[in-house]
Amino acid sequence: MTAVVRTRSLDASITAVGVAVPEWRVAVADIDSAWGRSPGRGTLAVCRADEDPLTLAWAAADRALTAAGLSVDAIDGMWWGCTRPPFAEGPSWTTLAATLHLDSTVDGALFAGSTHAGVDALLAAVDAVSAGRVHTALVVTSDALLPATGTGHETSAGAGAAAVVLQSDSGPARLVRSAHRWEPRLDRYRGDREAETRETYDGRLFREQAYLPMLGDVGDALVDDGDPAGRWSVPDPDGRLARALLKRLATPGGAAEDVAAGDRSRLGDLGSAAALVGAAAALGTPGPLHLLASGGGRVSGITVIVDRPVPGAEQVAAALAGGEAVTYTRVLRARGVLSPTGESVEMAVPPGSAMFGRGAGEMLGLLAARCVDCGTLNTPPDVHPTCISCGSTKFDIVPLGRTGTVQTFVVNRTMPSPFEAPLPLVVVDLDDGGRIQLQGGDDGADLAVGAPVHLVLRRYAVERGVPVYGWKVLSAHSRQEITQ
Amino acid sequence: MSWNRVSVIGAGLIHMGELFEQSYEQMARGAFDAAVGSVDNGFDPTEIDAVFVATQRGTLWGQEGIGGNTIPSAIGLAGVACTRVENACPTGSDAFRVGCMAVASGVHDVVLVIGVEKMRDKSSDEGLLARAAAGHPVYTRGESAPVLFAPFATRHMHEFGTTREMLASVAVKNHHNGVLDPYAHFRNEVTIEQVLAAPPVCSPLHLLDCCPQTDGAAAIVITSPERAADFTDRPVFVAGFGVATDHPYLHEKSTYVGLPATVEASRRAYEMAGISPADVDVAEVHDCFTITEILDIEDLGFVEKGRGGIASIEGQTALDGRIPVNPSGGLLAKGHPIGATGIAQLTECWWQLRGQADERQVAVRNGFALQHNVGGRGSGVSVVNILTTNGP
Repeated sequence: MTAVVRTRSLDASITAVGVAVPEWRVAVADIDSAWGRSPGRGTLAVCRADEDPLTLAWAAADRALTAAGLSVDAIDGMWWGCTRPPFAEGPSWTTLAATLHLDSTVDGALFAGSTHAGVDALLAAVDAVSAGRVHTALVVTSDALLPATGTGHETSAGAGAAAVVLQSDSGPARLVRSAHRWEPRLDRYRGDREAETRETYDGRLFREQAYLPMLGDVGDALVDDGDPAGRWSVPDPDGRLARALLKRLATPGGAAEDVAAGDRSRLGDLGSAAALVGAAAALGTPGPLHLLASGGGRVSGITVIVDRPVPGAEQVAAALAGGEAVTYTRVLRARGVLSPTGESVEMAVPPGSAMFGRGAGEMLGLLAARCVDCGTLNTPPDVHPTCISCGSTKFDIVPLGRTGTVQTFVVNRTMPSPFEAPLPLVVVDLDDGGRIQLQGGDDGADLAVGAPVHLVLRRYAVERGVPVYGWKVLSAHSRQEITQ
Repeated sequence: MSWNRVSVIGAGLIHMGELFEQSYEQMARGAFDAAVGSVDNGFDPTEIDAVFVATQRGTLWGQEGIGGNTIPSAIGLAGVACTRVENACPTGSDAFRVGCMAVASGVHDVVLVIGVEKMRDKSSDEGLLARAAAGHPVYTRGESAPVLFAPFATRHMHEFGTTREMLASVAVKNHHNGVLDPYAHFRNEVTIEQVLAAPPVCSPLHLLDCCPQTDGAAAIVITSPERAADFTDRPVFVAGFGVATDHPYLHEKSTYVGLPATVEASRRAYEMAGISPADVDVAEVHDCFTITEILDIEDLGFVEKGRGGIASIEGQTALDGRIPVNPSGGLLAKGHPIGATGIAQLTECWWQLRGQADERQVAVRNGFALQHNVGGRGSGVSVVNILTTNGP
């Protein structure tokens, strides 16, 4: 019996896409062997200690905006879907907006609560664009799931993000139809005070009673007006479900194609970002494309008609490729599961204090005070009432550029907890004439005086429970930045 | 003509090291006794009418803002005028300068300047390394002490071809001098090979490129040249001093192969002393890291900019070299109890000028000894003091 699925038509277009995944790859077999299980296949994209769903969201959004060729001033709404925003309660959306330099009047919302959050964000943005409430929307989906240690979920959960720019005008890829249904299902969940996401109670029960029937019904509803079976981006919470679902979705029109299969075996399931990351590369090839998402008992599908390649789509494959192999031990350490015993050095300035209030915007936005008289860029603005070059006291506040060359650097190897060595510190001569001292974003092995570098958003610390974000320096040739 | 409006009549220090068994107050008492006992004709400590305390880190007591009343009672002078001076790594040398101004102004007659520092009552992680979490939450995060100087080594190597061997030669020389200094924390020789093979700390600096964390105290007694005649027949005069500052953030430096604060502080001191760098017989300079001494000897004008590494490995700064630098063993071997460091350096200068430095005595031709510190956020503050035997 097929349950009732509601479908409706949509009216918005994707005008650009960007994706981001962490550089680290851990082998599923390494995790399995730690728990005495027979080794599984594939790898998972996992966060360094200074990456999280917000830094990934920034990277994907930055790439989408670059691909769109839009000034950030054109964005009048941002919708973000993320199972695990950095603040379960707090300024997650505004922190991301500040890093992107969004105008303070920009509309939007943050969706969380389950892996369905990504498609919630996408549909909310579509509605806002269709209604004419916003003209150009940025939709970001990102996740870095924190699976319960030692569970099967740990061998399937990856990390990544995708962002698209939406407009109501006829763009290269039109969102034409959506379908959805729900049941109050206890699939994967965590309680209000729990840190890790719990594995499903019974994998077979989930597959037979929730995943296959619900996603199958919604998928059928998307194509039942006679479209060919076409291409699908579907979630795969345990690494083995997608294949069965795709078989279920095959129609007289032909076998269903799983556009994300290859990436999923290298990156893992990306939670609320899975649907858009999976579909991102396929946005470069004309034809219909179906996205499915599920979580918390909700299932939604969206059909996209790609008329011509979406800007940014051709950079997706390179952004998802590569990676640096890391051990399960390093992953556990980065995740905070393995932490050193003993005292940890507290940040001298508490994140809730007035100095953070004064400095938050300029840190997140990488802002400088540009001297009106001599043009010197003074960083950060709030500690520079007087120009370091000419003594003037008149400034324009401007964002610093994010590319430059190394003036000098060190790699610090003697760091007390919570710092992790090796820790590079770099003085960068920015191409816009500014100069800034920041941490390196990797082990610093590629740094050299005069080498080209660029800045990326990272999490500097989790201080007294508060994530603190800032910019870090990466070699321009780093594998982490290959799309632009 | 030198300034010469203040005379040093006594100076002394305690054996530097990890003094776990001594309290802050006990260290102070030891340095005070050494200084008082060094006065040639004997000295009644109640002659002292003002004390300047040099302590950089007050965190030993869980509060940074300790006051000047921590010392007088420990040295039997409760009630005396006392002020704490803090100015980063030049804390001791700046307290001396402040004491000199107090004497020269005529406000005070006999002044004790005493530097005391407990570096090892807390673990390294909670001591200097904890600095990595101080300051700006992002722009200086991770900036532990070596980060203030190692970027200059990176750049000096890049621009001038300075090598790790050249850096190492500074550690080899200062450890050798430390062997000859009974007050030094480390009294062992090291080789270039040992310095190169030491564990990496903060590239390009390795462990033996770095000074240790040392407890210590040093004291110096000053008065007017007129009063000095009551206490000694071999007076040493303050020829001049200078203080200078620079921007506090590392990304605001005008150069990464020198420290402008040192250049300017020394220019002011030379002018006040009426001398040029070539007139200096011996120098005690801030060698918290090997690269720092190389920067110092360039910035102080002893060698041309860029030639500091070569001059060091050639032996120009050895005890018998063209310009002996850090005969006491420097911060690298004698140690760096921050508030005491500058006073201990001045004590060494006093001994050298008076020919009392035993096996490490250098040739004194012109009668001038220079003492220097540099430090603070972005190495943005430097103090230079110059002592002389050439009277008014």
